[in-house]
Amino acid sequence: MSSFDFIRKLLIEKFDVKPEVIRPEATLADLGIDSLSVVEIVFDVSDHFGIDIPDERLKFNTLGEVVAVVDEFVSAKGA
Amino acid sequence: MPEPSSAARRVFVTGIGLVSPHGGDPAQVFARLCCGESAIRKIRSGSAEFGSDVLMARAEFDPAGVIAKPQLVFMDRVAQMAALAAHRALEAAGLLGADLSAAGVHLGCGLGGSQTIEDSYQQYFVRRTRKMKPTIVPMVMPNAAAGHISMRHGVKGETLTYSIACSSSAVAIGEAFHRIRTGRLERQIAGGTEALLNDGSVVAWEALTVLAKEHPDGAQASCRPFSKDRTGLVLGEGAAILILESEAALSARGAKPLAEVIGYGLSSDAHNLTQPSADGQARALNAALKDAGVAREDVGYVNAHATATPAGDKIEIEALKRTFGAHAARLAVSSTKSMHGHLLGAAGALEFAITVLALANRRIPPTANLGVPDPECDLDCVPNQGRDAPNLRVAASNSFAFGGSNAVLVARAVE
Repeated sequence: MSSFDFIRKLLIEKFDVKPEVIRPEATLADLGIDSLSVVEIVFDVSDHFGIDIPDERLKFNTLGEVVAVVDEFVSAKGA
Repeated sequence: MPEPSSAARRVFVTGIGLVSPHGGDPAQVFARLCCGESAIRKIRSGSAEFGSDVLMARAEFDPAGVIAKPQLVFMDRVAQMAALAAHRALEAAGLLGADLSAAGVHLGCGLGGSQTIEDSYQQYFVRRTRKMKPTIVPMVMPNAAAGHISMRHGVKGETLTYSIACSSSAVAIGEAFHRIRTGRLERQIAGGTEALLNDGSVVAWEALTVLAKEHPDGAQASCRPFSKDRTGLVLGEGAAILILESEAALSARGAKPLAEVIGYGLSSDAHNLTQPSADGQARALNAALKDAGVAREDVGYVNAHATATPAGDKIEIEALKRTFGAHAARLAVSSTKSMHGHLLGAAGALEFAITVLALANRRIPPTANLGVPDPECDLDCVPNQGRDAPNLRVAASNSFAFGGSNAVLVARAVE
């Protein structure tokens, strides 16, 4: 499962976000995701993909930015 | 805080909300208790390697429709139960959606987010994750449940949590009551919550060697307060919330009260961290009766703390005899823990709620599993079946905590 799909599933199942609003360009505020929820999501994603994203990288505006940072660490791990 | 003056205001219970081993509807819970029905079961606990069957009284609940899914992510079981019970209490009082900005929340909780502690330690120390979940601190802190109630209902007066082991929620209700009586607030959401039936906590309680052994008649018969063959307490979980209102606040909206809260007494044993003291308990009882301004002969029923430990029950009987003198023989005393188990930080609130329901229904719930009583527990302990009490006017609820903190609440029937 891609990181986008994984986060999409989390947003739907855990945070009750409507599937139709989950697009990369959607801001986290649009999705109703506050800062603590973002960190919770990043924790679950990191745990799933076995990555460790440093705290200073946890500044996001859109969902696409979250996915980009996760993908960066996933591919770095695979390299 | 000022002493109550002669013009002290009257305080009433206008709603009860429960998440309890006997369910969430106060009328049904009370009816089941009066039939002597136990909610205690044997449940497999622990890991595959070290697991054991543990007697406990679980509270089943479904937060759907009341607590939104994204909020559940940040709420330990202990806060979910409290939020649901508070919602139910406000609904019962007719105050759901009302302006509660001047009200207060007073909540008792012994251990806080116990399940979250266990899950996070499992994750960090056993699964060796490099980080802990970011939501752990706000989920574990014992005052989280009260904070959630305050946020959900816009309560801005004061939000306080009391952690005094088994007296936690009796103290929460008592403090909330005094604050209305002395004119500081008009309305309070008061009660307690506890959810520690997870493996780590249960094993810790087992180590204390105070838990009941399974009775030959079955798991449900294992908690036997005042009984000659009692073996210990059974852990329970749940939340109980009461809405307290000043006479002015409730008459302004024409609400009908369930009972009047009239007394609250405290004492400290200064004796032993886990062993109770009849002297300390009697001082709390006397303080509560004095605070209530009633004669001991006025009291018809005491919901006992009695957890069914061999040592504890007879000490409480001794304290009741010292306090009530000759009237003790005419007093009905029951331990509903025989049926709902010991809810620890929520025990005082659930048992005071039951006491209020006893006054409202003029009916006294029994002590279940009481066949042959301990000769040292020789008061009227209302064995096995509830009974009508048409003349019941005043009742008390005892809560005695590890640490030696004793709290007694007194309520009066509404005429």
